[in-house]
Amino acid sequence: MIKHAGFQLSSKVVAVAIAVLLAAVWRHYQPPNRDIAFPAGEIRIGVDGSYPPFAFDEAGSLTGLDIELGEAIAAEIGLPVRFVNLSFYGLYDALKTGAVDLLIAALRVDQARTAHVRYTEAYFDDGLVLVSASDNQSISAEALSNTAIAYEYASRADSQIGLWEGDGQEIARRPYELSTYALDALRLGQAEAALVDATTLRLYVRERREWQHQHQFVSREPYAIAVRIDRDEVFKLVDRALSTLKESGEIARIVTKWF
Amino acid sequence: MSAKSSASPPVKDAAKRQRRSILVIIGLLLLFALVFRLRPAPGDLLPAEARVVETAKPHVCVHTLLENEVEEKKILRSLELVRELGATTIVQFFPWAYVEREDDQFDWWHADRILRHVEGQGLRVIARLGLAPNWLNEDPGATLNTLPETAFPKFAQYAAAFAERYAGTVDEIIIWNEPNLSFEWGYQPVDAGRYVRLLQETYPAIKAANPAAVVLAGALAPTLEGRGSSAGLNDLDFLRDMYAAGAGDYFDALAIHSYGLKEPPSAEPAENRLNFRRAELLREIMLENGDEQKQASITEGGWNDHPRWAHALRPSQRSAFTVEAFEYVEAHWAWLERLCLWAFRYPADLNSYPDNYTLVSANFVLKPIYYALQDYARGWEREEVLWLPPPETK
Repeated sequence: MIKHAGFQLSSKVVAVAIAVLLAAVWRHYQPPNRDIAFPAGEIRIGVDGSYPPFAFDEAGSLTGLDIELGEAIAAEIGLPVRFVNLSFYGLYDALKTGAVDLLIAALRVDQARTAHVRYTEAYFDDGLVLVSASDNQSISAEALSNTAIAYEYASRADSQIGLWEGDGQEIARRPYELSTYALDALRLGQAEAALVDATTLRLYVRERREWQHQHQFVSREPYAIAVRIDRDEVFKLVDRALSTLKESGEIARIVTKWF
Repeated sequence: MSAKSSASPPVKDAAKRQRRSILVIIGLLLLFALVFRLRPAPGDLLPAEARVVETAKPHVCVHTLLENEVEEKKILRSLELVRELGATTIVQFFPWAYVEREDDQFDWWHADRILRHVEGQGLRVIARLGLAPNWLNEDPGATLNTLPETAFPKFAQYAAAFAERYAGTVDEIIIWNEPNLSFEWGYQPVDAGRYVRLLQETYPAIKAANPAAVVLAGALAPTLEGRGSSAGLNDLDFLRDMYAAGAGDYFDALAIHSYGLKEPPSAEPAENRLNFRRAELLREIMLENGDEQKQASITEGGWNDHPRWAHALRPSQRSAFTVEAFEYVEAHWAWLERLCLWAFRYPADLNSYPDNYTLVSANFVLKPIYYALQDYARGWEREEVLWLPPPETK
């Protein structure tokens, strides 16, 4: 008998409790079962095929970063993939009804949905970046007073500049109709910095590889894969595949290909 | 207990207890007063007198999304901006799931709050009703759009209660949303007959509750989906099917969704194209079915200016096309009462291209489209330039 604080537990009860605990630990570390996760024998991925370069239609076929990522994950898991093209508004409901197993749709991690959805680690970051000429060492997000910053009017960048101004920094605003014009202004010396989203910068640089610049993230907008919260086996398999692909450099290769 | 205290006279004890009770009551009263003081009384933010919309274009309308707006001051600010825009009318969603969270328990608090401010700003409102409460569906895979046919009478009961409560404030009601999409039925196959049965259940219930109410049906998604598609059915065939199933007697006006995508508002319509004037094809179907006396409203529509979405324009094009669309309506569509743009503002950014349908950002930054539409609606000629010219790259 074990005596402790007025309770008496039989050694049998303790043994059962330890066994249950060990079983739970063993279960936790078991590799997820592919057949339980995807009983249809395929992985159905919800995508939004209207959003280049992540997913778009090219000559009747879906292509893009999200599509290649989905194919790579399916290959890593070892199952065929089927893409289900959805509108943005229908993505999460398709996940809820089980019409798809996961979503790869340039989705930013949304904390408001985490009661029903589990996100993998991020595979892309579309945060705002502060861009400047590579030889300009004076640009820093912490000290931007009197800096001429080019940005897209009424965009996320516009709001961020408003926040900096609220903190007492006096920004010399250079609003443009498009983010690409803001980058043109920086490149042509008409602004000291440009504030744009990371996707815009990547696409812009892709067309101008010779342009010497530097950038720093001033916000984070992680894109991740979404899985229904009660589909633990699916999540484990997908998250594990994503980690493997990251370690092997495959994710970086896919991202580089599309930018 | 000490011998001394137990020896206290009983009368003295009673007096002490009485004093303590009085103190407790006073304390509770103070606490209540404090709580009620901290919680803003309904209507604190209302103007003393209802405002008047100043506009030269009464057909200007926007779709607001205040059902998910928590802060009253943001509801007020949104509606002030709608009025200052020169829009006479809003389309506003009143989800059944938010009002009847438990069977037969109606909580109108948020709807009341929105509509008080709508009245305060002198706006008219077209109410859109939809979203089924969770208690209707035990299936964990059901969404808020999953509406079993057995629940149609309950939906009609909600619609009637809404119509009765807000008679005189809300006299136009849209039944459900985009019923030609499977997504809007919880990813169930679409069926025009089922939607007509919903109308047949709901229309008489609303009319009994508020005979002056105008019931709008349709609100069909513009899509090219053919018969047998799992995603839905194109709006033209769905409307034809609705008439074939007997919808004609169960709505007073057609709600139309008309998005321009990449095309200008004057682009010719065709059955196999999605553009602004596709609304004319829906109107033709109304005429073919003898509904020429019924009006229509575009309750969702517009253009998008996301930098990368496949169907978007640049901001200046979006502004120009939108104003041209309103001018086109004025010049050509006497049968259309209003053109309501999707969407005025989201309470929080969606962080994707739908954000670029809005006129005002979640943090109340006014977009170029807002100024362009304001100039049109109010007859202003703005000289202010919003942005610098593009840098000379050659």
